[in-house]
Amino acid sequence: MTQSLIETLDTKTSTLTLSLDSSLYPRDVLYAAAYVFLDRAYVLLDRVETRFVVHIRGKQLLDEPTLRAMTGEFENELLAQALRLRVIKANQRIIESVTTLAIAGAAGGMHEGDAAGGLHDGDDEYDDSTDFLDDPLGISKPWQPKKEEA
Amino acid sequence: MSRADTVTVKLHRALYTRQAIEEAAAVFEGFATFNVDRDGDHYIVDVTDINRDVEGDVVAEFCNFSLANTASQQAGRR
Repeated sequence: MTQSLIETLDTKTSTLTLSLDSSLYPRDVLYAAAYVFLDRAYVLLDRVETRFVVHIRGKQLLDEPTLRAMTGEFENELLAQALRLRVIKANQRIIESVTTLAIAGAAGGMHEGDAAGGLHDGDDEYDDSTDFLDDPLGISKPWQPKKEEA
Repeated sequence: MSRADTVTVKLHRALYTRQAIEEAAAVFEGFATFNVDRDGDHYIVDVTDINRDVEGDVVAEFCNFSLANTASQQAGRR
């Protein structure tokens, strides 16, 4: 955990500056980690040669332990987002397949073999000859009680 | 980001897109005037006519918006 360093920390202005090795953290990871902090801090990103420089200023007045804790949180967030990105990339095709199946299913049912692609409108299964009042199996019961019971 | 009448912000071109910056400027146009220019590796944003009656730091919020817009754009491209 020595590649991410606090360059400056100032409790008077609630600011801290972090310097990160850009070869360790892709830019997307940096964005995702910074995004998490936007509700409680002002975040400004910069780049100096091969390092990302992250300027963070708390929206509230923050003491030194809080600023140091925020640094740790930021580093943890970087790692979490890096792992998340790696998992997404590793499972990209699976995620796309599952999403496609889910959307296709919600759009009107699936037939065997539909996983290969293609939606159907379902018209071939619709029997137009029956009415909703028909009771071919004789299972319907009246709503009102029988006269004998009354 | 002081209380001066004019504030200049440097945003690295590798980390912020011009579109994101201009969208953020449009959001905050009621609170200040923004002029975006390019200088080497950075976009130079001159912020003038800052409304001091507004609660909060207009320039810092503008920077947050620029970052959030850029992050959203980049996520959408993935």
